[in-house]
Amino acid sequence: MSSRTVAPSLIARVPGVAIALIVLCTVFAFASARFATPTNIANILVQSTILLLLALPMTLVIMTEGLDLSIGAVLTFASIILAVIVIATGSLALALSAALAAGLCFGLANGVLISVLGIPPFITTLGTLGIAQGLSLLVTDGQSIVGIPRSIESLYSGSLAGIPLPILIATLAYAVTHILLYHTRFGTYIFALGGNREALKIAGISVRGMLIGVYLFSGLMAGFAALLLTARLNSAHPTAGIGMEFDAIAAVAVGGTSFERGNGWLFGTLLGVLAVGVLRNGLNLLAVPSSAQVASIGALVIIALFIDGLRSEP
Amino acid sequence: MHAMQSPSMNAEAVCRPALFELRGISKEFPSVKALDDVSFEIRAGEVHTLVGENGAGKSTLMKVLCGAYRADRGSFFQHGKQVSIANPIDARKFGIAVIFQEFTLVPYLDIAKNIFLGRENRGALPGLVDQRRIHAEAKRVLDAIGFDIDPYTLVHGLGVAQQQMVEIAKALSQDARILVMDEPTAALSERETKLLFAMIDRLKKKGVAIVYISHRLAEVFALADRITVLRDGRKVATVLPAETTPDQLVSLMVGRSVDTTYARPHRPHPGDVVLEVKDLDAPSGISNINLTVRAGEIVGLSGLVGSGRTEVARAIFGADRISAGEIRLCGERINGSTQDSTRRGMALIPENRKTQGLALARSVGDNVVLAGLRKLFPSGLFVARKAAQAARAIVDKLRIATPSVHRAVGTLSGGNQQKVVIGKWLNAQARFFIFDEPTRGIDVGAKAEIFRLLDQLVHDGAAVLMISSEQIEIVHVCDRAYVMRSGRIVGELARDQLTEANIIGLAVHR
Amino acid sequence: MNKQTTGRADIAAPPRFGFSSNVMQVLYRLLAAALLCMVLASLSDAFMTENNILNVLRQTALLFLMASGLTLVILTAGLDLSVGANIALSACLAASVIKATGSASLGVATGIGCGTFVGLANGLLVTALRIPSFIATYGVMWMLTGLTYFYMGGQTIHGFPPAFRQLGSGYLLGIPMPVYVMVLFLAIGTFFAQRTIWGQQVYAIGANPVAARLSGVPVQSRLVLVYTLSGAMAGLASLIILARINSAEGDIGENLTLPAIAAVLVGGTSLFGGSGSVMGTLIGALILTLVLNGMNLLQVNASWQPLVTGVIVLVAVWISTLTRPSDE
Repeated sequence: MSSRTVAPSLIARVPGVAIALIVLCTVFAFASARFATPTNIANILVQSTILLLLALPMTLVIMTEGLDLSIGAVLTFASIILAVIVIATGSLALALSAALAAGLCFGLANGVLISVLGIPPFITTLGTLGIAQGLSLLVTDGQSIVGIPRSIESLYSGSLAGIPLPILIATLAYAVTHILLYHTRFGTYIFALGGNREALKIAGISVRGMLIGVYLFSGLMAGFAALLLTARLNSAHPTAGIGMEFDAIAAVAVGGTSFERGNGWLFGTLLGVLAVGVLRNGLNLLAVPSSAQVASIGALVIIALFIDGLRSEP
Repeated sequence: MHAMQSPSMNAEAVCRPALFELRGISKEFPSVKALDDVSFEIRAGEVHTLVGENGAGKSTLMKVLCGAYRADRGSFFQHGKQVSIANPIDARKFGIAVIFQEFTLVPYLDIAKNIFLGRENRGALPGLVDQRRIHAEAKRVLDAIGFDIDPYTLVHGLGVAQQQMVEIAKALSQDARILVMDEPTAALSERETKLLFAMIDRLKKKGVAIVYISHRLAEVFALADRITVLRDGRKVATVLPAETTPDQLVSLMVGRSVDTTYARPHRPHPGDVVLEVKDLDAPSGISNINLTVRAGEIVGLSGLVGSGRTEVARAIFGADRISAGEIRLCGERINGSTQDSTRRGMALIPENRKTQGLALARSVGDNVVLAGLRKLFPSGLFVARKAAQAARAIVDKLRIATPSVHRAVGTLSGGNQQKVVIGKWLNAQARFFIFDEPTRGIDVGAKAEIFRLLDQLVHDGAAVLMISSEQIEIVHVCDRAYVMRSGRIVGELARDQLTEANIIGLAVHR
Repeated sequence: MNKQTTGRADIAAPPRFGFSSNVMQVLYRLLAAALLCMVLASLSDAFMTENNILNVLRQTALLFLMASGLTLVILTAGLDLSVGANIALSACLAASVIKATGSASLGVATGIGCGTFVGLANGLLVTALRIPSFIATYGVMWMLTGLTYFYMGGQTIHGFPPAFRQLGSGYLLGIPMPVYVMVLFLAIGTFFAQRTIWGQQVYAIGANPVAARLSGVPVQSRLVLVYTLSGAMAGLASLIILARINSAEGDIGENLTLPAIAAVLVGGTSLFGGSGSVMGTLIGALILTLVLNGMNLLQVNASWQPLVTGVIVLVAVWISTLTRPSDE
């Protein structure tokens, strides 16, 4: 299988995120009695699923030397659309389609602005972040949307054959992304977008189309994540997903995907998501406020980038 | 020098039409005629090497062949039938593939995926890549060239030689019948070179034609079935290796017509030593560099492209790190930063003035005063009027053609842009100038002017180190020259030994 | 050729007059601002009232304070996303020092000190660790936000000495104090950019960092200087904001960064470095404030504001990419 083609050259990286994960788990296991319990571990896994759905496309985006800062805000907006429509029509299918459509619209906007107009990704997605945020505020008028049908809530709390549904959904998302990245032409070209764009041009592949596709994928996954988010909160709030893009970027960076060379490791992202999840969970158990958690994740990102910079050629 | 053709070759040409032929190719660029009525013939199963100085037209000819450039005049023939090559896709249709020096490989994909980049969809489900199939096919191609490696290996971990093999496999997998290789052994070890030659041999037996560009005459004689020499855009000769010697080739390669508008003036005896470089090594690939430049002299630094001249210039100037050795300007050691070296009076006029020497969107005035800001305004306060005045003085002195110092530098012609770069250093009161290809991209009339500027500089007591790939320039302008090869200085030629043939003789591998 | 030996070939279709282009840019925008004023005056009676004009001036001043240091960073083709968070942390620290010691001057020193320190950290991350500026400052932004919330612990600090509050809410000759500070910042910023050799070097770095280095400009130290200066100005700005709103809590910094960037871009400073001016940023801040003010007067839902700001940023960047050929 092709995952072995990735692992050998990333041998230097495997210890990085895996060590971080092990160290974090060990530290928290000692620091808090409640950490190493089965309930808590299951909790971490379930809580991490939304982040995973965001971090997977973020991995691809970062591999193309881009960034999607808007994914958190798009997630929020999509969840609001989902809530509004499911309450209005009672149809989950319609609501989900609308959420996906919303995500795709933003993805398309991002992709076009970046590839056709040539606006740098971080500014583009910063702008669309503001736009998505603004739309969320407008639609909800700053209020939460409640009264969501019970059936949706059970998507997050329910389980199938003993496995929590969110984990199944996350596993499916991971599998789909894995196949996309390692077994399709699209995925192959993503490596080229970051590693050697010239090679794509010579091969006659449309760089523009690829970039639009990557951001569309990001928007799509944000739409799916909206389902889980709304189910988890049992409501939709205009600031619900704000800041999740940061956790997603942190997870990808810690997981070993670098910002400049088309070097992506999906499994590393998974480990990175777990690392962030463990960090947040452990700090929660130690009653560390959410703000300090953000600071520590920020520190984690900077350390990861520093190490990434050390590893790369000067 | 007229073209030489051996009688046996003529007979062969009559019997069997060549696999591919270029006839009467001419290509002009704004300032230079790159190719002038060149004909070049490629036969199946042969290695046809192309030799010539820098600027002789070798890469231009190959770019025309592979469709990257369109020829102004000339025609193409495949098996005697006329065809046209208007773009790279056409060239690929005729089985022409070029192995670039900058590889078109994606580092974090495996070999098989690299080989079939863009062509993965061979009957599998749309969008999906049939892993097993492309890896099996990749293995087949790799075996065919004798490269034993697991196609699942990532390109990232491969050495240059191996990456080259992958590029060759990539070309072959596209049914290349003509393989063009430009200086393929430049980055290879002896052992890797032997492997490459063995592979070339295998390809020959399959009937693939190879066009091989190289400066290494030993290789040329080892590999070639035929050798074509280009000079100044013209084909000088096509010979069989058995019928010539390295010395003869060298003499065919040189001997350009002289530009008579410039004549080297008499220069008084050189003064004190201004620049002294001792045992300089740098990670950029140069080693054991020793040279001196005195006030009042223009010293040349020649050699072929890739021999390390620019790296030496950058190391001296402080733009690149050095790992050993010392650099002294007027006796004082330079500490290795560009700020320090410019403060002490060093100047670098870089190879690519647009990307390295100027800020094109900024004004002439802004560019001219940049290096000398400290000297012009010791207090740190910048006064626009004074800066404009100083800039105007330089513009007048160098006769830079611009209506105002406030014009953006990008609007000036190449020659005038170069003068702005030089003016920048005059303004900074530099005493030692490094010129890297000072007349590149400048038309003939302006070249002489640049040389007269150099004369003026040394007449006023400055010292100049001049890098040029045009041997004729070195011979006519410099007082003496060092010759580099593979990152080292392999010789120093005094005034009376300074001839093109001597330079080339030292610069190429024997 | 590796990436380090070549710089960008060009950053703009070379303008005919390289020197006075800054002046032209400022004039065009001044014209745009004037037009905007006329439009707003005709759309709403409340626009031309003394109250509203002073309000616009004050808001412009506050926005400009945040954006002035940022201008210098963007001139070098960098970006500082941590401006808002820097202001928040500096303001909160200054607030608690004032509360604890009763001394306004100690508080001022703290605010400026904190801002400077953050700026220095940004500069080092970008130069020594070679992390791209937008990523480094993005990470720093989150760290600072977290630190601020953590430090404040959900509390609000309010009630500062009247003398201090004058800085933000006071009037001198009928004009709000922040406007005077704005003029001060304009003077400092313009002086640095146009009247010192370091400013000239900064423009050169933005226009072509490779050529600048090969002309003897110590690029790394200048970048550190620019980021540090930007941080110091943010620290100073935080004090004025603190004095104005007379309270400090964790979320002051929210929604500050995007408008600051918008002000710089609308003011004509190119995201790609090398051209623009602090004066331009002031006009940009004015234009942005007029737009938001107009929206308020026309009673447009406040929730539209982040959206409009986002669109403005995108349009401004798009326009600057149009005047810049691609790097092919």
